[in-house]
Amino acid sequence: MIRIITEYGELLLRAMGQTLLLALCGLFFACILGLIFGLMSVLKNKACNIIAQIFVDVIRGVPMIVLAFFVFFGVPYAFKTFFHFQVILDGLTAGTICLALNCGAYMSEIIRAGIQSVDRGQMEASRSLGLPYWRAMQRVVLPQAIKTMIPSIINQFIITLKDTSILSVIGFPELVNSAKNVQANTFMSFQTWTIVGIMYLVVITILSRIAKLLERRLNNDKQ
Amino acid sequence: MTNSNQNVKIHVSDLKKKFGTLEVLKGVSVDIYEGEVVVVIGPSGSGKSTFLRCLNRLEDLTSGQIVVDGIDISHKGTNINKMRERVGMVFQHFNLFNNLNVVKNLMLAPVDLKKSTKAKAYEEAKKLLKRVGLEDKETAYPSQLSGGQKQRVAIARSLAMQPDIMLFDEPTSALDPEMVGEVLAVMKELALGGMTMVVVTHEMGFAKDVADRVIFMADGMIVEQGTPDEVFGNPQNERTKDFLRCVL
Repeated sequence: MIRIITEYGELLLRAMGQTLLLALCGLFFACILGLIFGLMSVLKNKACNIIAQIFVDVIRGVPMIVLAFFVFFGVPYAFKTFFHFQVILDGLTAGTICLALNCGAYMSEIIRAGIQSVDRGQMEASRSLGLPYWRAMQRVVLPQAIKTMIPSIINQFIITLKDTSILSVIGFPELVNSAKNVQANTFMSFQTWTIVGIMYLVVITILSRIAKLLERRLNNDKQ
Repeated sequence: MTNSNQNVKIHVSDLKKKFGTLEVLKGVSVDIYEGEVVVVIGPSGSGKSTFLRCLNRLEDLTSGQIVVDGIDISHKGTNINKMRERVGMVFQHFNLFNNLNVVKNLMLAPVDLKKSTKAKAYEEAKKLLKRVGLEDKETAYPSQLSGGQKQRVAIARSLAMQPDIMLFDEPTSALDPEMVGEVLAVMKELALGGMTMVVVTHEMGFAKDVADRVIFMADGMIVEQGTPDEVFGNPQNERTKDFLRCVL
């Protein structure tokens, strides 16, 4: 155990950094996708609703590992064979796309549910005062929706952080991928995976604590 | 409060509204005059709330015409938001903005729609809160208020936009009995001040006391209308008589 920490500690810490970087990139775009599709699914527009629904259904219906292979191997192959156009996706880009799509679909559901949990009367009252739809959304509905969404969003963030491990299959040097190399070099699988498990546990526990604090702060702020 | 001033504020002709296959309004026509207080009564499901909600286009019309202050709001291209700035609405369930405190509830629309600066809106909000007897609740959140207080804030919030028409959708139906009076008092004060008001309510006392005209609706139509004395004292239609027998 000590040997792994002294010899490979730095490598594993750097890999953890890569994991966090990947998670952060993925979450950033997932939030954007989630907001776009979440809002599309609450609009009073059938076409928007259907597009959002299809996005969510497709992404939810495909395991992330399949999505990862599809994005990393399938898409460049398709471009090359059908359009004779070379696309090179590095691990970070492909990983970010996978996480953004996957987490984005769940986020869009969280955002849709959050908005719908706000009483319709809030929107009606804002509109009756003359506020346009998007202003009412921004000033009245979303601030209330976000409060109910926060626990689910934090939960989703944590799931996404753990899902980065799946992306070890496309060769991105995140924590699991690097740990595999450590194991291959040392043959100490028990020690290696214990350390990796503890690293995930520590990071996620810290993040959940920060999230809890944030949640409480937000709840105290308003009423 | 009399109809001597014959300016038509709201003109409704042959208004029809369907929800799916259910026809809720089956051709309603009525003119409401400036400064008039019109109280709409009728059994539940008669379409009175839907009628009221059509007047500021919270519901889209299926057919017919509504003209508010000379502006045809049934027309697709009309700027509905501009119209709504001048038509206040008070809801059964108050619908105060839960994320904002009382004074911010009042200031949101005037400031956001650039009808007023922050400082001016604040002054105006404080005046309105005083008028509805809640000057001490400025920084309270809606969840800390009683039903009657919430509804008075809701009225003040509508007034902050300086509307010249006010719509009330069963403003006292969700209140505990002892709080009905304080809300009706504010409404009466408004009526005496010359506000044009359309009030859907089950408060027959208020109708008798304050209304210039009472409209009785049933099955999506106006069955009978007249002064409170006429409608309550000498109803002509059988449906009106049945209804009044039940509620009086």
